[in-house]
Parts: sequence; structure tokens; C-alpha cells
Amino acid sequence: MSLLKIDRLNTGYGDIQVLFDLSIEVHQGEVLSIIGANGVGKTTLLKTLSGLMPASSGTVYFKDQEIQGLPPEKIVGLGIIQIPEGRRLFSLMSVLENLEMGAYTPKARARKDERLKEVYQIFPRLEERKNQLAGTLSGGEQQMVAIGRGLMAGPEMLMLDEPSMGLSPVLREETFRVVKKIAETGVTIMLIEQDVKHSLSISDRAYVMERGEVVMEGTGAELLVNPHIRKAYLGI
Amino acid sequence: MKALADSKANKYFLAAVLLIAVLIPQVITSPSIMQILILTLFYAYLTSSWNLVGGFAGVLPLGHSAFIGIGAYTSTILYLHYGLSPWFGMLAGGVLAAVIGVIIGIPTLKLRGAYFALATMAFGEGLRVLVENVDTIGPLKVNGPRGLLINLTGNSFIDYQFTSKASYYYIILALLLIILLITWLLMRSKIGYYLSAGGEDPEAAAALGINVPRYKVMAMAISCFFTALAGTFYAQMFLYFYPKSILGLDMSFEIAFIALIGGRGTILGPVLGALLLRPLNEFTRIYLGGILPGMHLVIFGLILILVMIFQPRGIQEPLTRLYRRILYRIKGS
Repeated sequence: MSLLKIDRLNTGYGDIQVLFDLSIEVHQGEVLSIIGANGVGKTTLLKTLSGLMPASSGTVYFKDQEIQGLPPEKIVGLGIIQIPEGRRLFSLMSVLENLEMGAYTPKARARKDERLKEVYQIFPRLEERKNQLAGTLSGGEQQMVAIGRGLMAGPEMLMLDEPSMGLSPVLREETFRVVKKIAETGVTIMLIEQDVKHSLSISDRAYVMERGEVVMEGTGAELLVNPHIRKAYLGI
Repeated sequence: MKALADSKANKYFLAAVLLIAVLIPQVITSPSIMQILILTLFYAYLTSSWNLVGGFAGVLPLGHSAFIGIGAYTSTILYLHYGLSPWFGMLAGGVLAAVIGVIIGIPTLKLRGAYFALATMAFGEGLRVLVENVDTIGPLKVNGPRGLLINLTGNSFIDYQFTSKASYYYIILALLLIILLITWLLMRSKIGYYLSAGGEDPEAAAALGINVPRYKVMAMAISCFFTALAGTFYAQMFLYFYPKSILGLDMSFEIAFIALIGGRGTILGPVLGALLLRPLNEFTRIYLGGILPGMHLVIFGLILILVMIFQPRGIQEPLTRLYRRILYRIKGS
């Protein structure tokens, strides 16, 4: 069943068009990856989906409701949460305050304590550091806070923008493990990554984007052995 | 345990400061020193009002004198034409300033950094030029560049006029305490957190579903309301004002100076900034004003540069640290 259906979406900055007739479907409960090189429009796609950027044409349906054109707070209210690229924590607030910031919608606020427990279960480190200022954490810990903050909103679909960016190989693997773990709790994941190998290996399905268009789609396993992918993205 | 004792010590310290503040007019008889003290509290109050948007919403308003002017003109015109007590006129001015603040804020609070500062500056200057070129609005006399004069009534509470400086001192002290309490409550509220989240990273906050513009506009409305109350206070204390004195850039800039030097986005910053800069301003004006007019602004600029280099978060930070250290010493012995 499709949870999110993007149909012929066009977006751009002023005269520069970034997304060209993009059509993507996200199925309920899956891990979907969108892979592609720098500058093909992956982040633009996420920003458009979360309402931070307007689309010039096209439709986006979430559970059969048109969401294209809604303001960000409405989209978050529906359960579509974005974890922005580069973590973007509130550096002068404590870890706990950052997490609480995620539980903004009335629905999320009502279940705040329960969710906080879940987040601490996934990231025990955050409970140890809950009173520390977010800006003083290491990169990996900051990524945990960013993901935890997204989870506090009670997402049905979590969109992660390059969560492995700038992390050491060990922390990268840890991050992908966590994403997989979150998916197992029933949250649909849309993962945007340049680390093609890792993201494909945890994905049910994936789209490959080039120059604002989808050029290929398939299951994670299929794409991992695809000659074009291997040549262009994995360097094999 | 330590935190508990600290909060107790804080309470004593606060009570002592408050007691001193209340007793000062009983001890000091010199009217010129009283005047300096009143203006210090006046600027502490103005900067604290400014701080609600300039400190917490992550923008730098440079046109707040517009709202001081709106407050002064509203209450004075209502008083001169309809005999309405300035106490009620003050509230009317506050409400009008809040409404105008919202109208200005909705388009401009979307701007970032220097663009917001420039937009508010343009608004403030625009309003000044407008008022300078208008003699009457319908039946209401504005008097263009000549300004408005309030008739002396002597000691009269209902007319917001007092013969003793102490009365003005207590009014502005009470206003300052109110705005500090509101700041304190706001900082502890959800709204305060959403505001500072939106101030630090508007996009990340929006991605969490926080309606950043709404909170910024809300802060702007509260800030403009309280700023306008200061306008009425100014009008009633000097009983005469004209566009340049109350709508000019000088006041807008001085507020921003005090906030940046004291420490914006903190409760104490505006108060400490005003305590440092206002007396300094008065003394440089008295001793250097004859030689070099505008010297006090040069000195302000120098202090601002030094503070930004050595204490980018304002003088409140080292002073708070010093206070803690002294407290620790006392308890340690």
C-alpha cells in the first residue's frame, strides 16, 4: 500500500528548475532510499515534501490526502517528519530541551514522556548526556539527538537527509543500524544518502536520481548488483 | 544541595538589590542624580522590552523608537484633545503600537540578519519624517517638527504629573520589574523555547513543525506594547517632545547598543548594560559635550567593539561568573 505518492513534481529556485516531473511512491512500513550524487535535487525534494519550499507543479498525496502546499507545521502534524541535513541542533539548548522541541504538536506533546523513554532506549547515551548543551556533543552524538528529536514528534514517516554525513566509518554503520531499528518499530523511512552501499543494503526499495529525475528504481538488493550502479556509485 | 543553597542566596541578593532600589530616592536628594537614575531605569526598561524580540527571536530591530513615539503621541494627543488620563492613553498607545508592530512584523520578520535590521530602521525613520511633515491629522494637532507640549498641572496623579522626581522613579522602577518578570516567565515557557529555537535556526525549527513566524510576531507584539508605555512615560516626565527627540535613530541605536553590550537574550543583560552605559552617557555629555558633541556615541562604539571582541555574549556573562565566585567564597569560608 502506498503511504506517500509524489506525482510529476516540479520544483526550483527562481528560474532554475531542480526537480523535473518527479514521481515517487513510498510504501507503508518500508525503508526507501533515494540515492544520487551531489546536486541532483535530493535535499530539494525533502524540503518540498516538508513544506519548507513551494513546488511549481505536481501533487503529493499522503494517505490519500493532498499535502502539497500545506505549511510545515500541518505536514508535521500529519506525521511526516524531516531530519534535516547537517543535524541543525539548537546548540545553546540542552540535549533534553532539544528532544522536547521535537514534541511540538499537541498530539506529540501528549505522549512526550513515553516517547522520551523510547528515544533513551534507542540511544542510551542521550540519557547520560541529557543536561549537556547540544553544541558540545560529538558529531555522532549530535546525529543521535537529531534523530531522537525527530522521533519525539511521533513520525509515521521519517525522512532522513544524509544522516551519515561527516561521521566516521564506525559511526556511519551505527547510524544505519539505528535507522533499520527504527524501521522495525513500524515507522516508514525515506532515506536520502550518498553512501550508496550502506543505504541500499538496509533498503527495501530505492530510487536513483540524476539531474532532478528518477533514472532507475528497484529493490535494494537488485540495485546493489546493477552494473550501472556499481560503476557509477560504488566504483567497482 | 548546593543548587538549593544557591537559589536561597539568589533570593537574598535579589531582595537586597530591590530594597536598595526602593530606598535610593529617600537617600539621594540631588535632582540631577535622580534624573540620571530615572533615565538609567528608563533605558533598562526599554531595552528589556526590545529584548523580547531582539534578544530571543534572533533578529536585530533598529527602529524601536517608532513605538516609543507611537506611545508618546497617542497618549498625549488623547490627553490634549479629549482630556483622557495618560494612564489610559498609555494603554491605548500600547495597543496601537502592538497592532502596528504586528503589521510591520508579519512581512519583515521573515527577513534575516541585516535585512530585518534595515527594514525596521527604514520604518522608524519613515515614521519620523512623516510626523515632521504633518501638522494635523484630521482634527488632531501633531505639530510637525515643533512637537507637543503638555500643560503643567502640578502634582496630579490622574494627569500622570508629579513635582517630585521620586514619583517618576518609582513608576519606571515598577514598569521595569513588570517587564523583567514577563521576560523571566517567557524564558521558562514553551513559547520562549520555540522563540529561541526559531531564532537560532528557523529552518530546523520549521522542520519540527514549529510555526516560527507566529511566535516571532507574538514576541514583536508584546515588545511593541511595552515599548510604547515608555513613550508615555517620557512624554509625562519631560512634558515636551518633538519627532527628533523621541522618533529619531538615536534612541533605537542606544537601545541596541545597551542590549549588545549588556548581553541580548538574557534577563540581566539589558539592566546591566543600562547601568553601565547610561551614567557614562550622562557624564560624557556633561564633561565632554561642550568640547565634542556626539562624543558619547563614539565612546559607546568603542565599548561595543571591545565587548564584542572579548565578551561576545555581553558583560552579563563575566559579572554573573564573578557573582557566583563571590558566593562560593562566602560559603566556602
